Amino acid sequence: MSVLVELGGVRKSFGARMLFDIAHLGIEEGRSYVLTGPNGSGKTTLLRMLAGLEPGEGSFRFRDSLVRFAPHYPERLQRMIAYVHQHPYLFHTSLRHNMEYGLKCRGVATKERRRRAEEAIAWAGLAERQVTPPESLSGGEKQRAALARVRALQPDLILLDEPTSNLDKEGRAQTLALLAQLRDERRTVIVACHDQEIISLAGIGRFHLDDGRMQ
Amino acid sequence: MNLLEPTRRAFELLLQGDPRLLEAIWLSFWTSVVAIALITPPSIALGFLLAKRQFPGQRAVVVLVQALLSFPTVVIGLLIYLLVSRRGPLGFMELLFTPGAIIAGYMVIAFPILVVFTIAAVQGADPRIYETARCLGASRWQGSVTTLWEVRFGIGAAVVNGFGRVVSEVGCAIMIGGNIEGLTRNIPTAIALETSKGDFSQGIALGMVLMAVALGVNVVLAMLQGKGGLR
Ligand SMILES: Nc1ncnc2c1ncn2[C@@H]1O[C@H](COP(=O)(O)OP(=O)(O)O)[C@@H](O)[C@H]1O
Ligand SMILES: [Mg+2]
Repeated sequence: MSVLVELGGVRKSFGARMLFDIAHLGIEEGRSYVLTGPNGSGKTTLLRMLAGLEPGEGSFRFRDSLVRFAPHYPERLQRMIAYVHQHPYLFHTSLRHNMEYGLKCRGVATKERRRRAEEAIAWAGLAERQVTPPESLSGGEKQRAALARVRALQPDLILLDEPTSNLDKEGRAQTLALLAQLRDERRTVIVACHDQEIISLAGIGRFHLDDGRMQ
Repeated sequence: MNLLEPTRRAFELLLQGDPRLLEAIWLSFWTSVVAIALITPPSIALGFLLAKRQFPGQRAVVVLVQALLSFPTVVIGLLIYLLVSRRGPLGFMELLFTPGAIIAGYMVIAFPILVVFTIAAVQGADPRIYETARCLGASRWQGSVTTLWEVRFGIGAAVVNGFGRVVSEVGCAIMIGGNIEGLTRNIPTAIALETSKGDFSQGIALGMVLMAVALGVNVVLAMLQGKGGLR
């Protein structure tokens, strides 16, 4: 299997305080991983760096190119790596518009866009919730919508930040089922989490970030 | 002074649709709408830049815009008068005592309101909006447009506020409109003039119209703020 992302010597510090210094981390194409670690160990920060949302020192290899962090993050990569916030933001328009947004940015034709948006809504199990304003959806529904919105774009790498935190039992189960599907579809995914159920999903790789080091 | 009689007359004028009254109302309305329509896009663009981007002199620009906010409108009227009067640098445009001059004044008055409100709306925007847009593949430009769209109720409040301010504005309109009947006499200048002539009924009627506009503006604002609260 080919390596999609390879980090070597990636550091992040706030002022004099070093948050982490990652000697090495390899992500294989088509695999799902969990990124665990105590609160404040820098999981969110690392995912945001990879998505171009946060500056950092060092660089990483993405396929054959060497990528520097923001503000030197290449525009091209913005469309290949998708980050989903811990509390996803849905645009206050309509569910369908949310699903179509990224497709529109990519210039996908209207008809095809509609079709893929419908498919994404169905995948998230939200077909009956289309009339609800997106901002009024429950936490679990928002999370599923955000997963479907990103999946519809078929990015090379999906970064999820604690997708099951703050969800009730049912919401967690539904989100977990979608994560298992992403794994089965052989998407490349990194999930930052504490959730034991995600961690013990079969066939998922694991990294542990603690005390500034990757284990 | 008997207030009852002019008040009764005022209602009569309103109900009958007195042409002088309607003319003043119509002039106030369309010049305000045109001014707001013209000044809104550049104000939103500047407000967005001031809220989002760091550049040299940014603070100074913000302070300047805020100062403009508390500028007496009669001084704005005076400045525009000097600009467009026969011997002024823009005298060739022959704008003095025309609706065009009033519109120019309204634009100057509405500009800082729109900019300051836009800054507040954009700074109050959830930072996840822009990040989400970018992560979904939006360009910087598209991400900015999306951010503005997500705070559209705040921007709408800016526009309504600007309209409310200029439609009832008197100092600037009197300075550069000249209160020419049928051409540049709008609601506030007509109130001022008719009252000074001792005709209270016109003033009372127009005053009621203005209060209704103010009420309407505030109802719309409250509705927009309610919507914005959903964020
Ligand atoms: N802008 C910032 N300035 C200073 N410290 C920050 C900043 N952003 C995050 N941190 C710190 O970085 C640490 C890691 O945060 P985070 O990446 O959210 O960890 P995790 O997601 O693993 O809980 C936290 O201790 C946080 O206080
Ligand atoms: Mg976190």
